[in-house]
Amino acid sequence: MKVSSKRIPDPKRFEVSQGTLFLDRLMTWVIRIGGMGVIVAVFSIFLFIFIEIIPLFRNADVQPSDDWAIAAATVPAKDAIVVVGADEWSEMPFVYLGGDQVIFRDKASKQETVVKLTELSDVTVRSVHFDAVNKRVAIGAADGRVGSFLIKYDVTFDAENKRILAPKATFEKWLDAPEGAGEVISVSYGDSGSDRTVISERVTEGKAAVTIDKMAQKKSLMGAGKLEVTGSYDVSAELSAKPLLVRSSPNGNMALVACDDGKIDYFFTEGRDKPEKRQTFQPFPNQQIAEMDFLFGGVSVVITAASGEQEVWSLLRPEGEDVRVFARTKTFPALPAGEMTFAASQRNKAFFTVSNTSASLRFSTTEKVRWSGTLPFVPAAASFDGKSERIILANAEGRVQILDLHDPHPEAGWQAFFGKVWYEGASQPEYTWQSTGGSDEFEPKLSQIPLIIGSLKGTFYALLFSLPIALLAAVFSANYLPASAKRILKPTMEIMASLPSVVLGFLAALWLAPLIETQVPSILLACLAIPVTALICGMIASRMPRTVRNRIEGGREWIVLLPVLAVTFFVAWQLGPVLEKLLFVYKDPSSGERIADFRLWWPQFTGLPFDQRNSMVVGFMMGFAVIPIIFTIADDSLSNVPKSLTAASAALGASRWQVVRTIVLPIASPGIFSAIMIGLGRAVGETMIVVMASGNTPLSEWNMFNGMRPLSANIAVELPEAAVESTHYRTLFLGAILLFLFTFTLNTIAEIFRDRLRNRFKLV
Amino acid sequence: MKFQHTIKGLMIAGLFVLPAANAQESHLDPKLPEYKSVSGVTGNLNSIGSDTLNNLMTLWAEGFKKFYPNVNLQIEGKGSNTAPIALIEGTAQLGPMSRPMKGEEIAAFEKKFGYKPTEVRAGIDALAVFAHKDNPLKGMTMAQVDGIFSSTRKRGAADLVEWGQLGLDAWKNRKISVYGRSSASGTYGFFKDHALDKGDFRNTVKEQPGSSAVVQGVGADQYAIGYSGIGYKTSTVRAVPIGEKEGEFFEANYENALNGNYPLARFLLIYVNKKPNKPMDPLTKEFLTFVLSKDGQAIVEKDGYFPMPAEVAKEVLESLTK
Repeated sequence: MKVSSKRIPDPKRFEVSQGTLFLDRLMTWVIRIGGMGVIVAVFSIFLFIFIEIIPLFRNADVQPSDDWAIAAATVPAKDAIVVVGADEWSEMPFVYLGGDQVIFRDKASKQETVVKLTELSDVTVRSVHFDAVNKRVAIGAADGRVGSFLIKYDVTFDAENKRILAPKATFEKWLDAPEGAGEVISVSYGDSGSDRTVISERVTEGKAAVTIDKMAQKKSLMGAGKLEVTGSYDVSAELSAKPLLVRSSPNGNMALVACDDGKIDYFFTEGRDKPEKRQTFQPFPNQQIAEMDFLFGGVSVVITAASGEQEVWSLLRPEGEDVRVFARTKTFPALPAGEMTFAASQRNKAFFTVSNTSASLRFSTTEKVRWSGTLPFVPAAASFDGKSERIILANAEGRVQILDLHDPHPEAGWQAFFGKVWYEGASQPEYTWQSTGGSDEFEPKLSQIPLIIGSLKGTFYALLFSLPIALLAAVFSANYLPASAKRILKPTMEIMASLPSVVLGFLAALWLAPLIETQVPSILLACLAIPVTALICGMIASRMPRTVRNRIEGGREWIVLLPVLAVTFFVAWQLGPVLEKLLFVYKDPSSGERIADFRLWWPQFTGLPFDQRNSMVVGFMMGFAVIPIIFTIADDSLSNVPKSLTAASAALGASRWQVVRTIVLPIASPGIFSAIMIGLGRAVGETMIVVMASGNTPLSEWNMFNGMRPLSANIAVELPEAAVESTHYRTLFLGAILLFLFTFTLNTIAEIFRDRLRNRFKLV
Repeated sequence: MKFQHTIKGLMIAGLFVLPAANAQESHLDPKLPEYKSVSGVTGNLNSIGSDTLNNLMTLWAEGFKKFYPNVNLQIEGKGSNTAPIALIEGTAQLGPMSRPMKGEEIAAFEKKFGYKPTEVRAGIDALAVFAHKDNPLKGMTMAQVDGIFSSTRKRGAADLVEWGQLGLDAWKNRKISVYGRSSASGTYGFFKDHALDKGDFRNTVKEQPGSSAVVQGVGADQYAIGYSGIGYKTSTVRAVPIGEKEGEFFEANYENALNGNYPLARFLLIYVNKKPNKPMDPLTKEFLTFVLSKDGQAIVEKDGYFPMPAEVAKEVLESLTK
């Protein structure tokens, strides 16, 4: 049997060729590397974002740098007559110790330059106050006169582009003292650029008097007019007790007088009228005020008691009132009692406060101590440089100490991002997002809460609209719809998913929003009438005799239902205005006139606003974008339920609905669940529709008829303007991380649930 | 390529602006110098910054290209806040802004280059408060403007949310629908500083990405109010006269902007990077000379803003050659 022996298969036949094996191994590695690569990429992105936000949570760093004793200090400073300051680069700090000379010191060459002020030659200076923003030193003389001088640095560049500073001190005209006035023991100068307010306290034979002088100058685009004195007012009669300390706000629109009974009188000095006393307040019961000065921006004042207790009071409008008064907004930990020195930053709401040698850097917005430490001597004056990168301290003997300050993100912190913060000018602590202003004085408001609420709100309204439609459509198409119709339906739905969201947003803003605005009752009626009609039709159909029902092929009932629903929609739309006249009638409280307008009725009935660009518009459009995704995934999982199970169930006599309810839905539930979660993830991250249609209003309300500002839209709108590595920039990255964590958590939960469900129905 | 897009935008903008501008008398200062072209000017010039100045920059670019066909200009206008970033990164030579730079922005520039950016005043704008064209309001005080837009109400006005509160009895109980610019814009910052007295905006102000979106929004919403540069005025809106005191309202026009009666007048600015003691690069310098010439200022007027007096233009020009 040679032939049969030939049929014995060659053993090599069963071996796999080397090429295939190699390809197999190669592909295993390629896939493995690819998979690892994806994981690495996702983690790198996460790491990159995370590194960007870490500096937000760091504390301030303060290091002692240069220190020296002034050689030219021929006049020993009397009392507390010490002023210290610097140019914006801290290259040439200056010290003024009373008398007629200002001593500058070049940082690089360590050379001193003395600038003489001839106007002060024969004057005994009794009080000073330094306005670091205008670099103006206000002077109160023993003879009762009040004046000021300005420190200026002329900047030129040499051939190597090196900066050369030429310091100058220019004296401004004296304000003459009233007849027979005594020495000026406290003085302060406010200058807004067009209006100035000078407040001074004179002591004449043991009696103290407070005077407010006002000056004004008209400004236009073409320059400034002449400075003229508009009035001098003695406000002593209006004080609550003997005055101790006077302060004018840096912009000259108000003046404060601290009295020896611990009370502070607030005078409003804006405009050309007589200063108006608006308020008397007492920060600390039974304690005198040791130090009181304004923060940058001139809205808040830091008040320190003799015992070292410290509070910030801000000018604000109490709820329901129109006049702005001071109220306590922050309380800081107490300093030890001692000699107090204070300096406010010229960049933000930070301030440096010293009691004897214990110093502390604090930030008003977040109510946090950023740094605290001990100084080598007791300073009599302190000042920030123009960039808030250095603090300069000096004492009466002419000893100067410079501290290097590094604190790029003082506005940040857990409290600022997730807690209620009492911002300057607000009537209560609140969650606010308002990241940029037009000037340096702006206090950034960086709460993430309105943005998180915006994200959740948009998602909620989108799912409210899309979930019922998408899931019911999936159940219907998987179990009832004949295959021929499904072949058209599914691709159509998928095309819907491919519409760019910016187009949808554009439609929502310019077409849907104005349409919905006037037709809210019609839409509400339609949303109610269509499902109800569908149910009624279903009920009628089930009561019909079988002969009638059998005329329509199973799964094609919608052909009959569709015209009915179209008519229902039309009728509901037309009945909308009728419903409005019946239910949504606005009654004018003053005239009693009745107007049928939902836009007026809603705010009156609920107390919530109605806006054209609202969550309903966003919900509809975002729902439109989410429906195809949920539908496709849910439909796939429903269609993949084994035919043998449904067929067996049907053969045992179950109706179509029974099959769906007891067999298909439980088995497909993991898939349906992931469909919902993926839809949810898409809605949370959706950006362009919201940017265009929502008005981007950062509200913390759930009202259906106003807008929102989700995290994603916020990043899209603000990232182009945020300077790299600024607090604003890093805060936007924080928003990105929140968004990431949000979807990450959702997906993880979804995966766990899906696993559980899958295990449960494995046996089926 | 980008330039062609801007030309298209320009033609659309021109349709709106030209008829309005022609109707008024010209404020162009006859003493302004004519522009004379020089030789050897070629290359690329990029401008990134203000949206308020976007149309104006495009018109200037078009005018400039008539003198120098070989020059390639690209203009992008997302908001004034983008200008300092672009100048620092070196992605643009011109940074148009509708507000002066903040100390922080100047500091960031200085940190990179060692000197400050140079500010060039290029035109005058009266920042207008727009209402729907059918709005019968005679005028508003600055305090009322503050009361409508702000949550802090630093000027001491009442909480203004309905038109009835402004004395419009016919529109009693109609809520004021408030439109504004997004925070990237210099107009947003300028309005915040000067109208709200450095206060805060209400969180119900609908922030729009561009000036034209504000004007469109106000034009399509009868009970709306919004603000933008006067150059974006269309026939669907009207600029409400404004004053410091009740009864003393001033139109947003040339005279009132110049003499300081209109409270929201401002210069339109272009920031450039100029090394001290060194001449500016010829292309940038010629562009700015063109802007400050009679031809350049005629374009300012054509776009609906106000031209600068000759002495201001001269002063600015002199500062560039220093």
